[in-house]
Amino acid sequence: MIEKEDPVISEEEAAQYDRQIRLWGLDAQKRLRGSRVLLAGSGGLGAEVAKNLILAGVKGLTLLDHEQVSEESCRAQFLVPVTAQGQNRAQASLERAQNLNPMVEVHADSDRIEDKPDDFFLQFDAVCLTGCSRDLMVRVDQLCSQHNIKVFCGDVYGYYGYMFCNLGQEHSYVEEKPKLVKPSENSNDGPEPKKAKVDPNETVMVKKMASFCSLKEALEVDWTGEKAKACLKRTPVDYFLLHVMLKFRTDKGRDPGPLSFAEDSHLLKQIRDDVLGAMGVSSDLLSDCFVSHCFSEMSPVCAVVGGVLGQEIVKALSQRDTPHRNFFFFDGRKGNGVVDYFGSK
Amino acid sequence: MVQLVGSLRKELADSLSTCKVLVVGAGGIGCELLKNLVLTGFKNIEVIDLDTIDVSNLNRQFLFQKKHVGKSKAQVAKESALEFCPTANITAYHDSIMNPDYNVEFFRKFVLVMNALDNRAARNHVNRMCLAADIPLIESGTAGYLGQVTVIKKGMTECYECQPKPSQKTFPGCTIRNTPSEPIHCIVWSKYLFNQLFGEEDADQEVSPDTADPEAEWNPEETAARATASEKDGDIKRVSTKDWARSTGYDSIKLFNKLFKDDIMYLLTMDKLWKKRKAPIPLDWQQLENSSCPQEDSTGSGLKDQQVLGVWGQCQLFQHSVETLRSQLQEKGEGAQLVWDKDDAPAMDFVTAAANLRMYIFSMNMKSRFDVKSMAGNIIPAIATTNAVIAGLIVLEGLKILSGQMESCCTIFLNKCPNLRKKLLIPCVLDPPSANCYVCASKPEVTVKLNIHKTTVLSLQDRILKERFGMVAPDVQIEDGKGTILISSEEGETEANNSKFLSDFGIRNCSRLQADDFLQDYTLLVNVLHTEELERDVEFEVVGEAPDKAPPPQANPDEVNSITNGNKESAQPSTSSKAKEDDLMVVDSDDEGASSSSAAATGATKRKHSDAETAETSIKRLRKDQSATPTDDDDDEDDIIELD
Ligand SMILES: [Zn+2]
Repeated sequence: MIEKEDPVISEEEAAQYDRQIRLWGLDAQKRLRGSRVLLAGSGGLGAEVAKNLILAGVKGLTLLDHEQVSEESCRAQFLVPVTAQGQNRAQASLERAQNLNPMVEVHADSDRIEDKPDDFFLQFDAVCLTGCSRDLMVRVDQLCSQHNIKVFCGDVYGYYGYMFCNLGQEHSYVEEKPKLVKPSENSNDGPEPKKAKVDPNETVMVKKMASFCSLKEALEVDWTGEKAKACLKRTPVDYFLLHVMLKFRTDKGRDPGPLSFAEDSHLLKQIRDDVLGAMGVSSDLLSDCFVSHCFSEMSPVCAVVGGVLGQEIVKALSQRDTPHRNFFFFDGRKGNGVVDYFGSK
Repeated sequence: MVQLVGSLRKELADSLSTCKVLVVGAGGIGCELLKNLVLTGFKNIEVIDLDTIDVSNLNRQFLFQKKHVGKSKAQVAKESALEFCPTANITAYHDSIMNPDYNVEFFRKFVLVMNALDNRAARNHVNRMCLAADIPLIESGTAGYLGQVTVIKKGMTECYECQPKPSQKTFPGCTIRNTPSEPIHCIVWSKYLFNQLFGEEDADQEVSPDTADPEAEWNPEETAARATASEKDGDIKRVSTKDWARSTGYDSIKLFNKLFKDDIMYLLTMDKLWKKRKAPIPLDWQQLENSSCPQEDSTGSGLKDQQVLGVWGQCQLFQHSVETLRSQLQEKGEGAQLVWDKDDAPAMDFVTAAANLRMYIFSMNMKSRFDVKSMAGNIIPAIATTNAVIAGLIVLEGLKILSGQMESCCTIFLNKCPNLRKKLLIPCVLDPPSANCYVCASKPEVTVKLNIHKTTVLSLQDRILKERFGMVAPDVQIEDGKGTILISSEEGETEANNSKFLSDFGIRNCSRLQADDFLQDYTLLVNVLHTEELERDVEFEVVGEAPDKAPPPQANPDEVNSITNGNKESAQPSTSSKAKEDDLMVVDSDDEGASSSSAAATGATKRKHSDAETAETSIKRLRKDQSATPTDDDDDEDDIIELD
């Protein structure tokens, strides 16, 4: 896939991407330049991820979304013009998305993702799912990991947001490390005892490997064992919040809406009790106050989660730097951002 | 009953639509911030930036497109942000925030000020303006993958200047002139050389061999006889480098042989220097030309900038760039000067060639133009995602302030990797103001050690009060019972004093000076301690701080660029076009060292956070022991007060 081409970086690209090539190097930029990404969901988080990937300089980005622009669904959506009410969200986002970087091929697709055949997903190097149902995410994750396609999921719920990634059982990448040099007779250090030291001016690339589990496995962690219970104290509560929000989406076919606050907040508490109960953990884990802070996509939270998510996609495609395994949770009320692993190690 | 507008309580949403906020900087963080503000519901926004758009901004400053290159950042950012929310009321200023028009009254218009700056001088200034106006300030910065956001409120939290920032990197003159051991020393030398030849000559930027190097314990007269190079050098020394170069008509081969042969041979005569070091090897133009093959090898493939030329290639680049710069100088006319700019091709070529030739002479691996540019231009790598995260955090802190929850504000670090507590974003409690802060204490006071017979009034003004203590236009009076005015910010009033020494005005050991900055509404009492024993190349020392010294080398190039090479021009309190781009405070941000480029922002040196896990620390670590990445640290007990 990514290796199939070795695109040449032009002088024009080198000028535009200068500040990031200085960070992640030319090889990473080349890999990025050869990668195609599917981004499902053109809401606030989708817009942030799209912006970040287009600016970074992937080869192609496909925006897939069947929903129509509405005030509520586009509150944090800066790619949709204000005049586009009622239009398809992906198509309405296309022009501004493309303007971010003419060197990237941006496409809009207004189909329902549920209706897409398996083949559709196989043309991409990475797939990022936002605003999707749990069942759909599990299906796409399973399909893509069989074909060595990197999978990302993410959502923003008010002040909260998360990211999940599955880069496959064997994701190889490189990391830059300071070079150790053996002092030679010619070194400038004088006659002091010779030992290897770090050369501040040289670095080496170290090859590494990371392993990931499926989304299904990551979501179906068994919390009933003694060992799991012991871990509970150190587990971010955001993981359970995610289960609640996904269940709400499954049950209602939508996310909690500010206009139906009374009804939805009541329902959220009920789902919290059900979901946590079914997982075998106390519903006290998630206190009531989450309820009034998990409505709508909040722009600054989309920026934070979309920033982390976008960078993880860049890292995965460019096979550069240690990926975050396998969840990132953000709590915008606390300013806290946690990376934690769920599933078999 | 709770009523929501989007994610926000209605009361908060209403207050956003009526309050007025100021965004200082429309670069990497500024663009992201403007977007977040209008999408969150802020309606009255003023934005100021004196910079114009460059092509290298486009990988992250997403409100700009190629067609905008050369235009005002503030203006284009405003127009692009308005498309997200046409009902917003945005005012753009293409100007420096340090312009006296933006006085305390101006700052009082806002309920909140948000910095999205890239240099320490402007950050210091806005810090003081917000203290004077008593307006909450959110400070921020990014460098590569790292970032930080913090909140500053007079009387409640530390101010930007409460903790001393690591001082700018400087290198001892003799390292630059005699004994470079790292590429950066050669790069600094070649930038000095550029100024000596084509730009403004500066006595602190000498490039010729330093005969007073204490390590050489060398008496030039005694050894002159055996110095093969000394004769020629004697000729050169009496005139300035520039006058000599001019007298040769900027003959590139003569320049080459002086710089890379004669001067090096002269250095070789200072034999004590080479007892424990590998001695430099002089180069001779003719020899190199004779032995060069027509198709000379260069290493590194692909982009031209990333190739490392061979020695003869460097010679040719040197020759070619000298010729181009010479004609540029000629075109400008008599007495003209060139200003070094990393984006000016011949200037950058010249520094690349001269630095590499010197590296070669001193047995270092030569570097590509791309790498030399990073160091010479003090370029801090910058990406969209880090700026997006930081700008999101700024707005979240802003919402706390506007909800009257200042006490829940925090400082947040963004790391490259999660720490051992699994945190990628680390919120920490805000510290109370430091009682001894020379800015926000009730009666700011400092003690400065200097030599009253050697320190001029101009040096007191420029180096000490402006550069070191961040004043913009100081007035100084001596507390001698007579109120003698030493420096007036009114033009023409005290210029006559500039070249005189402090002792000429009766300033003695333990004299007290009162320095006022009217714009900043800031008064600083300076206690003078006279000393004859400052280290070489040190003009003054602030008591309680270590003198500026050359920093230890760093390791990780990811982060390293951000903190390398505090170059000289960067020290000017400029938000001039030199002081580029957005970001950072942990380490200053983008581009050329607007001073501080090495400068940490808020709390970057907080002792409290000196332990393992913050972005800040990772940078400090790099400075200190050149090895650690944030995750390499252990998770020992620390005194960071991390919030859960
Ligand atoms: Zn202070």
